[in-house]
Amino acid sequence: MASVSPSRSAAVARHELRLIRRDPVYLLTFIFMPLIVMAFIKPVFRYMVAPNISGVNGSEQAVPGVTVMFSMFLVGSVGFGFFREYGWGTWERVRASWASPAEIMVGKTLVPMLQSALQLGVLFGVGGVLLGLHVRGSLIALVLVAAAFCICLISMGHALLAVSRTVMQLNAFANLGGMVLAGVGGSLAPASALPGWARVLAPMTPTYWAMRGFRQVILHHGGPLAGVEPIAVLVAFSVGFVIIATWRFRFEDTKTSFA
Amino acid sequence: MLEVLGLTKRYGDNTALSAVTVAIEPGEILGLLGPNGAGKTTLVSIVAGLRRADAGTVRVCDVDVAVDPSGARRCLGLAPQELGMYPILTVEENLRFFAEVAGLRSRALRQRIAEVAEALDIVQFLDRQARFLSGGEKRRVHTAIAMVHRPSLLLLDEPTTGVDVQTRAHLIEVVRGLAADGAAVCYSTHYLPEVEALGASVAILERGELIARGPVQELVRSHGHAALELTFEGPLPPTEVVAKLHGETRDGRIRVYAEQPAMEAAGVLAALGSHAGRLRSIDVVTPSLEAVFLSLTGRRYDDQDGSRPEEPVHRDGERVAVS
Repeated sequence: MASVSPSRSAAVARHELRLIRRDPVYLLTFIFMPLIVMAFIKPVFRYMVAPNISGVNGSEQAVPGVTVMFSMFLVGSVGFGFFREYGWGTWERVRASWASPAEIMVGKTLVPMLQSALQLGVLFGVGGVLLGLHVRGSLIALVLVAAAFCICLISMGHALLAVSRTVMQLNAFANLGGMVLAGVGGSLAPASALPGWARVLAPMTPTYWAMRGFRQVILHHGGPLAGVEPIAVLVAFSVGFVIIATWRFRFEDTKTSFA
Repeated sequence: MLEVLGLTKRYGDNTALSAVTVAIEPGEILGLLGPNGAGKTTLVSIVAGLRRADAGTVRVCDVDVAVDPSGARRCLGLAPQELGMYPILTVEENLRFFAEVAGLRSRALRQRIAEVAEALDIVQFLDRQARFLSGGEKRRVHTAIAMVHRPSLLLLDEPTTGVDVQTRAHLIEVVRGLAADGAAVCYSTHYLPEVEALGASVAILERGELIARGPVQELVRSHGHAALELTFEGPLPPTEVVAKLHGETRDGRIRVYAEQPAMEAAGVLAALGSHAGRLRSIDVVTPSLEAVFLSLTGRRYDDQDGSRPEEPVHRDGERVAVS
């Protein structure tokens, strides 16, 4: 890979931020909507999360579960950042600019990563405070699991972009895939309450490992190293997604956007 | 500034470019001419590093595009054929992005945006979102983006598509100014009059092959013969009639070369005899780039698919077209 100029990558990232600032509805939707959903489903989880642990109020499943599910919906934003360029006819201009492919990829990855981090931070922070989430274990471990999950989401976004020929395919893969992974991974209901087939499939999903990491820290007093296993698996998933993205994505490809 | 040597590009069985060799010096405008599908956009795309050639080399500012694409890109500015800008950003933000990527910052950046906006007469739109601009205004912004980092080589792929006469004239003026300041400009178009207005040298592409290269005047002098071109209803007159006219047949028409074609028209009509009744049109082909194209390819320039568009002028019941 050619050397990457931080200033050019930063210029690409600033530009992406300008675009989001001009049209922030997508991001805001996936930050505020989950907060509403959390409030409604918290009581459902009160008696099914961990009956043997005292002081449980349902937020232990509602907050991380809804956060993981809505994080999956933001996976598509990585691809939309590229399909937007195809639709507006700017992709060839960007490719012909001074920015190298590596600088473009870095700039275009930083912003979705920031979006994802913001979403995770707000949902755990605001959701946690509003719904009375008590983290029994290490906050550092919680942040590390969230960071690993964030990297996994962005990698998955690049893999989805690479395999999608049209923006509608990307949309379908992101939404349908997001919902299935969230469900099987234990975001909609605790893994123990899932049907047998889902419990078999669950460890094959990144959402399961993110939920497992969050539960260990939130419910089971996990220390700073509590998230090591889930983090390792999430990193492995990320590597797999990056390999798919590198294998299938071509800068010179023309994909079909809305326009 | 630009050296293209033996460039070949194929898309499957279709050869888009065949061993094209061409160069552009600093301060030179090269009018890249050719009908749709001639290979102009492919050539521009390869020079800009957007596509890879199957054979041949491209050097931009002495940098081989295939070896160091990033280095080559730093020398060039590209305005692709399709309009490309961010509709939800202002014109200033559109320019700012490409200027920032090119390393311009703070005062230098503001100054350069002001200069390019002034040159393309878009100062009044700088704070307007690009989606609210008219087609001609968008085309000017589109061109401004290519120029904002002051490239040594400017690639303009059909920059006047869909613009009004005034905008076209303004863009041509801007391009002439850039060349006067030392930039090399590759100006792809299928409008012959634009190249003549630019005072450019010309490279004519035809089905992927470079069929002519040189200053307009020189090409016209060497290839642009004046002629009368006769089109008939039904079959052409027999060969003895064509021989009597000292003409030649091409593409279902008879062409009669003459120093002053209009003066020969009466004689030609007389020589046609009874066949004159089937004459659909007589065109006067004057020495111009169009005549050069005709002479080199045997086809009129507006024959995009080998058939000439109908454009007869009716006079007293007789169909006569004079161009």
